[in-house]
This record gives sequence, C-alpha cells and structure tokens, in this order.
Amino acid sequence: MRERVRRVPHTATAGAEPDADTLLQAVARGDEQAFEKLYDLVIGPAFGLIRRVVRDPAQSEEVAQEVMVELWRTAARYSPDRGSAMTWVMTLAHRRAVDRVRSAQSAADRETRVSAGESSRPFDEVAEIVTMKLEHEQVRRCLGTLTDLQRESITLAYYGGRTYREVGELLDTPLGTIKTRLRDGLIRLRDCLGVAR
Amino acid sequence: MTTPDVHALTGAYVLDAVPELERAAFERHLSQCDACTQEVRELRETATRLGRAAAAEPPPWLRSQVLARISEVRQLPPEPGLLTGGQPRTPGWALRLTTVAAAVLLVASVVLGVLLVNTQNDVRDAEQYAASLSAILQAPDAAVANGAVQGGGTAVVVSSRERNEALLLANGLSDPGGGVYQAWKLGDGDPKSAGLLDGNRLDIDGLDQATSIGLTKEPAGGSTTPTAPVLVTVDLL
Repeated sequence: MRERVRRVPHTATAGAEPDADTLLQAVARGDEQAFEKLYDLVIGPAFGLIRRVVRDPAQSEEVAQEVMVELWRTAARYSPDRGSAMTWVMTLAHRRAVDRVRSAQSAADRETRVSAGESSRPFDEVAEIVTMKLEHEQVRRCLGTLTDLQRESITLAYYGGRTYREVGELLDTPLGTIKTRLRDGLIRLRDCLGVAR
Repeated sequence: MTTPDVHALTGAYVLDAVPELERAAFERHLSQCDACTQEVRELRETATRLGRAAAAEPPPWLRSQVLARISEVRQLPPEPGLLTGGQPRTPGWALRLTTVAAAVLLVASVVLGVLLVNTQNDVRDAEQYAASLSAILQAPDAAVANGAVQGGGTAVVVSSRERNEALLLANGLSDPGGGVYQAWKLGDGDPKSAGLLDGNRLDIDGLDQATSIGLTKEPAGGSTTPTAPVLVTVDLL
C-alpha cells in the first residue's frame, strides 16, 4: 500500500464530512484522497448490491473492484443534474453485476438454475449483514405495500438480475403485464420512500 | 412521440431488465421524451434505495487493492460534446451513450458486411437497403434486437411497429447448401413466411401480430410452413 497524506478535498466545507456528490466532483479532478473517502462512503452499498446479484463471493469482489476503478476512470462524466452521486455509483454497480451474471452463464445454464430455484443459498444471508438497518427497514416496509406480483417482479429483476422476459417466464405472466408491474411497482415504492420528485 | 407501450419500459429499464439492444432503442425514445427522462431519474433513485438496503461489508483487502489500481489508471476526460451536436437537450449518462453507440456500431458493421459482399453487384441495390434501414431507424419506435444463429452467425432485426416493417440482417451464416434460409413471423397463430433471405438480408413488410422473427433452413424455393428446426428467434419490441 502507498503512503497516504490525509487532507480534506478543497471543495469540502470545513468541519463537515463532504457528501458523495462533492467528493465525486473532486475525484473528477484527479483527487485520490477524495476517492478514498468516496470509496468508504459507497463501498458498502455497492458491494452489498453486487453480492446480492452475483452471489458468488469471489466474483462479487472482482466486480466490486471493477466498479470502483470504473468510478475513478469515468468520474468526469458524472453530472449532478442527472441524479445523485450515490445513484451514479449504484447504477454502475448494478449494471456491472448484471453484465457479469448474464455473460457468465449460458442460456441453458441459466434455465437450469431457474428451474432449480436457486435454493442453494438462503435468501436473507446477505440481509443479515446489512449495515444500514434503518434504511433497510423502510425499504422492507415499502416493499410490503406492493402487490405480490409487483414485489416479485421487482425483486427478481433487481436483486436477481433477470431480464423482464425471464421474469415473465419465471412468474408465468405475459411480458406486457411484467413491464407494467415493474413500472407501477417502482412508482409506488418511489412514493412510499419519499424519493424527491 | 410517447406511446404507452414504450413508456412502460421505464421500470424495466432502471432495473437493467431490458436486453442490450432493446435498451438502445428505448434510449433513443428517452432522448425525445422529457417526461420519461424525469421518470427514469426518479425511478433510478428509487432503485438505488433498494440497492442500499442490501449493503454489506466487503473484505478489507479490497480497499488497498482498488487504491493501488487507481494510481495506475488514467481518468477519462469529461464527456465530449460531439454526440450532442445539433440536439438542444443534454444527452443521457455516458452509459447510455455507449450502449446506443454499440447498437449503431453493430448495425453499421452488419450493413458494411452486406455492402462489401455486394461490391461487384448492384450498388444501387445496396444503397436501397441502406435507405430502408435508415428509414426504419428513424421511426420513433425503432427497435434493434439480435440473436445468435445455431450453426453460426448472428441475426439482427431492425423493426418499427409504427411503420409496420422490419429489416432482417444476417451475418456469418453458414452456407445453406442446396437449401435456402427462410424467415418466419412467429406469434400466437401458425408461423407465417416472412420471405427467403436474398444474400444476407430481408425486407419484411407487415409485421401483423408477430411477436418475433424466426429463421430456418428450408429446401430450395422455401416452404409454406417451417420444416426444419428454428435456428434463431429474435423478439420484436
């Protein structure tokens, strides 16, 4: 490991910990210290999500590393008017995780796993090591306000990394219905979680 | 510009549940639909909350490894303005641009392949195909999808429900021998012939109720119903 000189990014307000958006803008200018802080801020959520989608621990670590290096590499392409820095990171993490599971498995392999029900790992193993308990509770409560079909569709697509076609097959539901449930389910979640409009 | 069907993809899109090429088509739609862009932004933030709820501690060594890596990785410059030229709106995230670019490149490489194969043939014919391709691609609901053909090669289908037509471009197909490749409109009813492949491409007029396009190898002259296994099906959006 390299020697690190700790310093606050010059955009940060004195005394307050800079938020992810501020840090990411500093990272865009090549500030490695800001990147370290940003890493500490986002790695838990990003790694947890990747782990949930990819499942295999070694592969999850690989993908997490790729995502963090990608975050460094593309920081200058982030623009705050398109969403928060955390969302930027999580979008990157989810996209990479999904790419990994889709390319790693052949279609046949995937079908076998679908029919086997992926029962090899208990569903909430990852949930047990959740660090943001409060947030987790709120998300769980809001997921509970969805219809079964909305909740299952969203869970399979997001945490399971399935395409909407695969979700349709798994739930034996027409594709048009799946698309609609993914959308109106997320809209209901948005309103329940109070995501800024 | 907004059709309810395309608009409904916002949810699947932010969950990364839309296959690669269909995603490119949706992103074209996004670039013209402010309401969708706003909705995508909100739903993405919502998905992020789902993601954060799964937070987990990574192994500590990951940090030092990442920090060592970034000291060796050069950062990209800010997004070039090139792709936005002529458009009043800001484009989507870099991620979106790269997928759109990837789809365009894929189509372009197939078209190029088609053109090269035909250099000694009728250039006007090739131009006509390029024209019909760009006409379909300009439709607001244009969709590009592809599939790997059993026995080798790729089939790309560029389609528009609004224009009620599609263009099938095949690349790297094996020699059908004495037979011929025939495309089929697949849906709820019996398969309907969409025509025989002339070289590596086929104009399909009238999508009817088809939900996907299939390809089989048929005896010379084609068949009225498929007599051989379907080598690839490409879903229509």
